[in-house]
Amino acid sequence: MIDLIHVTKRFGAATAVDDISLSVARGELCVLVGTSGCGKSTTLRMINRLIEHSEGEIHIEGQQIRAFRQETLRRRMGYAIQSTGLFPHWTVARNIGLVPRLLKWPAAKIQARVEELMALLGLAMEEFAGKYPHQLSGGQAQRVGVARALAADPDILLMDEPFGALDPITRESLQEELRELQARLHKTIVFVTHDMDEALRLADHLVVMHQGRIVQQGRPLELLREPADGFVESLLGGEDRGLKEAALLPVSQRMLPLGPRRLARERIGQQASLREALSVMLWRHSERLTVVDDDDMPVGELSLRRLVGARSDD
Amino acid sequence: MIEWRRWAVPLGWLALLLAATLGMGQLDGLFRWIEADSRQVIYARADFLTLLGRHLLVVSVAAVLAILVGVGAAIAATRAWGRDFLPLVSQLASIGQTFPPVAVLALAVPVLGFGTLPIIVALFLYGLLPIVRNTLAGLEGIDPGVMEAARGMGMSGGQILHQVELPLAAPVILAGIRTSVTINIATAAIGATVGASNLGDPIISGIVNGNTAYVVQGALMIGLLAISVDSLFSRLPLTGSR
Ligand SMILES: Nc1ncnc2c1ncn2[C@@H]1O[C@H](COP(=O)(O)OP(=O)(O)OP(=O)(O)O)[C@@H](O)[C@H]1O
Ligand SMILES: [Mg+2]
Repeated sequence: MIDLIHVTKRFGAATAVDDISLSVARGELCVLVGTSGCGKSTTLRMINRLIEHSEGEIHIEGQQIRAFRQETLRRRMGYAIQSTGLFPHWTVARNIGLVPRLLKWPAAKIQARVEELMALLGLAMEEFAGKYPHQLSGGQAQRVGVARALAADPDILLMDEPFGALDPITRESLQEELRELQARLHKTIVFVTHDMDEALRLADHLVVMHQGRIVQQGRPLELLREPADGFVESLLGGEDRGLKEAALLPVSQRMLPLGPRRLARERIGQQASLREALSVMLWRHSERLTVVDDDDMPVGELSLRRLVGARSDD
Repeated sequence: MIEWRRWAVPLGWLALLLAATLGMGQLDGLFRWIEADSRQVIYARADFLTLLGRHLLVVSVAAVLAILVGVGAAIAATRAWGRDFLPLVSQLASIGQTFPPVAVLALAVPVLGFGTLPIIVALFLYGLLPIVRNTLAGLEGIDPGVMEAARGMGMSGGQILHQVELPLAAPVILAGIRTSVTINIATAAIGATVGASNLGDPIISGIVNGNTAYVVQGALMIGLLAISVDSLFSRLPLTGSR
């Protein structure tokens, strides 16, 4: 869907992005991580031509992005940024309807779409439609920013730290929503973040950048298990990598069927992560947990030995 | 109802201005007390309504020109293609204001002759700076995130200018226009020295003939006009704080 082929960007003498190649498949959520100034935002902004690349080629669905008019290209891609960039003189509803209006949708269709998106992002129509951006909390503003990016139903979403500067709870709920949106709408998303937990939780495809280059890319688990070098290893959490990996694996992968033994008192859902299971064990001083399904019915058990067990027997 | 109260103050000033324009003759007694020696104490070579009209005309024409040129130049200098001219534009505008209007008049008269034209040129140059400066400040002061989003959403340059930049910069631009016009209402009086008859006439004539009453009448009219216009500007929806 999106292909970057040996792309380089120079600002004067400085090279911000250095010969990167990257393919994002349709429906994939690709997350770019790396230290500050490594070229993540530059990479993202080259895709919608807010920045023109110096060398290499960028393709969207097989077509060079330079074959499109800039405005046409951008209206096909949603764009959400950390500062939201909501227009302060427009109401929430008008902000969200921006791209459909640029695309000259009929007014009734725009109105319906705005209502649909506000519902999708948990913004009550009566309460928020007429508000101005300065009347919103940071989290609400970022939701509006995401709604605006989704408005014209673009296949591609570019998101630059869209949940930055939010408290962990709001952030997690927005991540959850993005995950659901992604599952439902099959958007192709390129997402930039500083937050490694966010990156690991969201990514289908994780890209680690350092000084303008891609040092490693692949599935989050692959990177955790086989970091290419010390930089990737420390960026992904160093000694904490075990916990980060556990956070990606569901309990159902390690549990054993119910045995003849008495059920352990402490319970854990089968969709919970191994990390959560470990936390329950630590907290309850318990080496065994009963695994339950969504209806709270026991379906298996998980022992500490199983939890920390070798990977080969998953 | 609330709308009406909003305009009460400027309307009050306008009423005073109108009263002074039409009723200056009634104040004969007052001015005779100021200027006891003169035979005539109310300026009468032209009636105040005509002088006020000419004064307004000159200021308005200069303001319209200054707005067109000033806002236009500032917009041009903030486009991608005009960035190179940004320093030049702000310097030219500054020079326009450091150059005293009297000097402009002196230079303009030999070229344009006596009358209204030289004073319009002088006021235009003098009024350019606040407009250019404020338009630049207003456009440059827009949150970069807003501009990035506008471009990122696929708005064209013209759409961004009309739907985002100008509305957001409008309060600052209007403040510049307000300063420019208010200053020029006072400055326009010097036009009387080159034969542009306006509210400066009584002042100049009063100075030449040693008639303080004339000076006071001219000053009073100009002061009331400046306050009225300034007060009107302050009530425009965009200049108030939001
Ligand atoms: N318009 C520009 N002109 C000159 N240099 C730039 C420009 N934009 C970015 N750079 C430089 O390019 C490099 C990469 O910047 P970029 O914004 O892509 O970093 P980033 O990975 O997004 O960092 P952060 O995580 O802090 O947002 C930096 O060294 C930056 O200074
Ligand atoms: Mg960045």
